[in-house]
Amino acid sequence: MTELMERFVAVPDALSASPLFAIGLTLSAFFAGSWLFTRMGKPLWMPPVVLSAVILAAVIAFLSVDYLRYQEGSRWITLLLGPATVALGIPLYQQIHHIRALWIPIVVTLPLAATLAAVYAVVIAWAMGATPEVLASLAPKSVTAPIAIGITEQLGGSVPLLMGGLLITGVVATLFVDLLAKWLPVEDERILGFALGLNGHAIGTARAFEISHTAGAFASLGMGLTGVFTALMLPLVFRL
Amino acid sequence: MSMLRGFLILVLFFLLGEALRLVFQVPVSGGVLGMILMTFTLMLRGRVSDALALSSQALISILVLLIMPGVVGVFFMASRFSDQWLAMAAALLLGTFLSVLSTLLLMKGVMRLSAREQGHD
Repeated sequence: MTELMERFVAVPDALSASPLFAIGLTLSAFFAGSWLFTRMGKPLWMPPVVLSAVILAAVIAFLSVDYLRYQEGSRWITLLLGPATVALGIPLYQQIHHIRALWIPIVVTLPLAATLAAVYAVVIAWAMGATPEVLASLAPKSVTAPIAIGITEQLGGSVPLLMGGLLITGVVATLFVDLLAKWLPVEDERILGFALGLNGHAIGTARAFEISHTAGAFASLGMGLTGVFTALMLPLVFRL
Repeated sequence: MSMLRGFLILVLFFLLGEALRLVFQVPVSGGVLGMILMTFTLMLRGRVSDALALSSQALISILVLLIMPGVVGVFFMASRFSDQWLAMAAALLLGTFLSVLSTLLLMKGVMRLSAREQGHD
């Protein structure tokens, strides 16, 4: 009987050798998070990605699966981030007439706003005594994950720390856009979408697609341009 | 089948972007280069095939799923930097608040200016 129990306890660890285990876990947490999100009445302060990630972390800890092994298996999922980034070009094209009409404000705002997004964070952290490694991990906090990882590695930052920063930035950027839209007020979906993508990368973009297709297209545009611009600018600035 | 065909196009554009990145040594990811190429190609062609629209929509709707594995890393690896959490929290919260505010005001202001200019024409 105890032998059976022992074998039973060893199951998660043995299964985790296959990437399908990580895929199954991630998918389950994704659906559980989405279900919970709907049950909670779709709260703005708690995006589905946070709910799902918390559930996933809890399950990984509970089953005592080795995190690095999970990370290895989950690469099959993360792999799709590449084609998914390419896929953002389609809504971008479908909304190109909106973007053409607004190209002057976009060209003026983007370099300034994308620079400020990095500068505010780095200056605040530096003033409060953060180490260079932490600064390098925070600088690309508004950039979409696949590009940001490349930037942080180039600057000598920590990738897990960056991912944490990205997550928090995405969530609070989404909250702040919703809040400030009411305070300022800004009602134009195009501006809101652009701000969501520029500051809140993929998380902001996901939120923008909830607002409307137009907002989503502007978010994709803001995210894409911020990524390209920051990837070119930050390595140059950090060298100084 | 058509969804798979659309997926193939996305993968090919991604690989093309990666190839360009490697050849020209640009610090921009293959995905972003692929996205830019995709947008320009569609602008030249003037339409999106159903297959491509279908698979891009499918992928975009699961973006959250795709970033989850990275996000979960925070819970397991961030403790190393716990002595600097206040600086990081301030940078992320205050910094993001300021940058969202700046973006909204900039965009709104410039849009109003350029609209006024067009009014004069």
